[in-house]
Amino acid sequence: MGAKVPILPSAREPERRPKLLEREAPFGYLLVLPAVLYLAVFIAYPFLMSIYMSFTDAQAGNPKWEFIGTQNYSKVESYQVLANDFVLATLPDEAAAKRFAAARDSAKVTTEPAGSRFRAVLEAAGTRVPLLELGSEGDASYLGETVGKELSWKVEKRGGQYAVVAHAAEDAPVTFGPYNDKATLNRERRSDILVPAKTTVKTQGKGVMQDPNFRLAVKNTFKYTFGTEAIKLCLGIPCALILNRKFGGRRLLRGLLVIPWVIPIAISAQAWLWILDSTYSVINWCLVHWGILSPGNIINFRGDKNWAMLSVIAVNVWRGFPFTTIVILAGLTAIPDEILERARLDGANGLQRFAYVISPMVRPILMVSLLFSVIFSFTDFNTIWIITKGGPYDQTQVLSTYAYQLGVNAGYLARGAAISLFMFPIMAVMVFFMLQFLRREA
Amino acid sequence: MADVVLDRVEKRFGDVLAVAGIDLTIRDQEFLVLVGPSGCGKTTTLRMIAGLEEVTNGDIRIGGRSVTHLPPRGRDIAMVFQSYALYPHMTVARNMSFSLKLRGTPRAEIDRRVKEVAGILGLTEQLNRKPRQLSGGQRQRVAVGAALCRQAGVLLFDEPLSNLDAKLRVHMRTELKRLHLAIRSTMVYVTHDQVEAMTMGDRIVIMNGGVICQVGTPLEIYDKPASRFVAGFIGSPPMNFFEGEIAADEAGAAVLLGGGLQLPLPRPDLAERAGRKVWLGIRPEHISLTQAGRMTSEVSLHRVFRTAKVPSVIEVVEPLGHRVILTARSAAGPFQMETEIHAGVHGGERVELWFDMNRAYLFDRDTEAAI
Repeated sequence: MGAKVPILPSAREPERRPKLLEREAPFGYLLVLPAVLYLAVFIAYPFLMSIYMSFTDAQAGNPKWEFIGTQNYSKVESYQVLANDFVLATLPDEAAAKRFAAARDSAKVTTEPAGSRFRAVLEAAGTRVPLLELGSEGDASYLGETVGKELSWKVEKRGGQYAVVAHAAEDAPVTFGPYNDKATLNRERRSDILVPAKTTVKTQGKGVMQDPNFRLAVKNTFKYTFGTEAIKLCLGIPCALILNRKFGGRRLLRGLLVIPWVIPIAISAQAWLWILDSTYSVINWCLVHWGILSPGNIINFRGDKNWAMLSVIAVNVWRGFPFTTIVILAGLTAIPDEILERARLDGANGLQRFAYVISPMVRPILMVSLLFSVIFSFTDFNTIWIITKGGPYDQTQVLSTYAYQLGVNAGYLARGAAISLFMFPIMAVMVFFMLQFLRREA
Repeated sequence: MADVVLDRVEKRFGDVLAVAGIDLTIRDQEFLVLVGPSGCGKTTTLRMIAGLEEVTNGDIRIGGRSVTHLPPRGRDIAMVFQSYALYPHMTVARNMSFSLKLRGTPRAEIDRRVKEVAGILGLTEQLNRKPRQLSGGQRQRVAVGAALCRQAGVLLFDEPLSNLDAKLRVHMRTELKRLHLAIRSTMVYVTHDQVEAMTMGDRIVIMNGGVICQVGTPLEIYDKPASRFVAGFIGSPPMNFFEGEIAADEAGAAVLLGGGLQLPLPRPDLAERAGRKVWLGIRPEHISLTQAGRMTSEVSLHRVFRTAKVPSVIEVVEPLGHRVILTARSAAGPFQMETEIHAGVHGGERVELWFDMNRAYLFDRDTEAAI
């Protein structure tokens, strides 16, 4: 009762906060909440989780994860030196070289000690050629025999002279090692082989960088992405130009165009599986029917390593080019008629109008579409998984399928995570440059 | 010589006759304005001259050479579009030189012309900017500059000022006029704004419904409108029209308006056409508050005699500065007149107004043609 009640409201009295229900901001936050939750639960958490996982030794069925640093990315356990094409002798005239090469059958490889090491020496046509120098007599003798006896000798013209080359095929090199550390590798690499030869170093280890399949997957991913994008543009630009013209049925055609884009890939892939089937392929049927192929050598689209990549690219292009077309079409329709008319008055013919007016004006929107499309193809899993599952022999294995293969199917969760994270920096760089380009254009 | 001759030029869009076989000769170095309400065919006519629209029938000749079937680039013309149609990805300089480059003009010559035109139009500072960095007026000038660089015999303008604000429009009007005096190429200018037409044109072509209503100098069009449409289209505020009938009276001829109002006509010969149904047209500036009115400087007995008294009520007073527009009502109907601000007239006032019958027009009510 004794509380003082101001009789006149003071002008300086701070305004009372409006009631919760009268303010707008809380409702905004409320409406955004589901989206934030979604992003947190389904995007941010898995992303951060896979970053964490890629630094552990997580495996399916293994309840305890240990932090192992960057070993999933790169852990070299040993090195090997692969060598091809040992140049045994270089002679000034061809006849002498041929005589030397012919001496292969009578050539002898002997091993002699050289300091603390052992040297394999080749004797052929009366010449002694020191071949190798290795730590153990057995190794020196074995590899010396391999080079001297098992490889084929060829005469090659090199810089005006004739070289006798002991030739090992690219996929069947002579291997030295393994060496456990880099210092040994470097020392051995310098002193092992005494004649000129082509050498490469092969690293072996558990990190994905040492995994030849991973490297293949990276290569395939780029092949797949850029092959797809190039074809999409080559198809999309002419299609958009045609659809931008006025003709009967244009609206119908525009509608039909988006069908591949809206059909779920799981459904359309069934059709493609049939189209690309090894036995019942409709393409093969047509080619045989028209007499282009004989029934005996039909194309195995999904099983042949030369065709498999083309097949998955074809499916992705079929699916993705409507999007490219629609986006370019949107860009084309946005060009005011008056600008094209002015170009005609300025004296530009059709090609010049396209080159100097239409394409620069469409370019920004084209870049946006390309950006989306590249991301879509780079991370595409569905198409490849449904059509080839990465096969045959990993010829269509891309990063996303390989990450799944290794992480989920094989249970190496940590390495799967490391592979999928590899996509992130590559994408980031691509997106950065594209956005940079867009900003410059705008 | 870059005269343009349209010979019975016709344009149909499907069943719609947009331009109904017009004949027109645009003289060399003339500034000709095509004016008319929207849909009158003026823009279509211009686009046919440009070659952007096919001609359905008839022939177009530029400099004596038939261009009817030539593509736009073969016609020795340049055009300024309503939206300016600047290439957004090119700098001002490249916008202006694009057509020259396509024609394979030597670089030095291109540079010289661009510099010269930019100098004339005051765009030297902006040459390396992109169109979106320019103001509306500057864009407009770039569009004109691009057309000028071509040094084409005929320059076409498609409502080039309609996207500018009122003040800038007045300014650009003068600029274009000055430009025409400087470069002296044939200019064909399309507008729906009769003020633009009157102020800029050497001659004006008034179109309506796909046909040409009248061709003449601004003065001819103002003084001798050929039809009621032309009379009503040119002049601001527009001419007043009253329904009436020609009558004979003791002094000669008169026009009998609604409400029993009878005004004398200064043309006794009309007496024999008594009974003809007509429109009486009189411009707001030819109605005054006093008998002598504004004609004091050129007063003559005859003229004074031929003013006619019309009792009216002032309804609305709209001062525009020095001029005041009055809306008044007489027995024959409502009309507008113009006076000056010091006349001190108020709404609701009953006044006697004087119509200058020497400056009144009669139009046949059936044919709408001037009598």
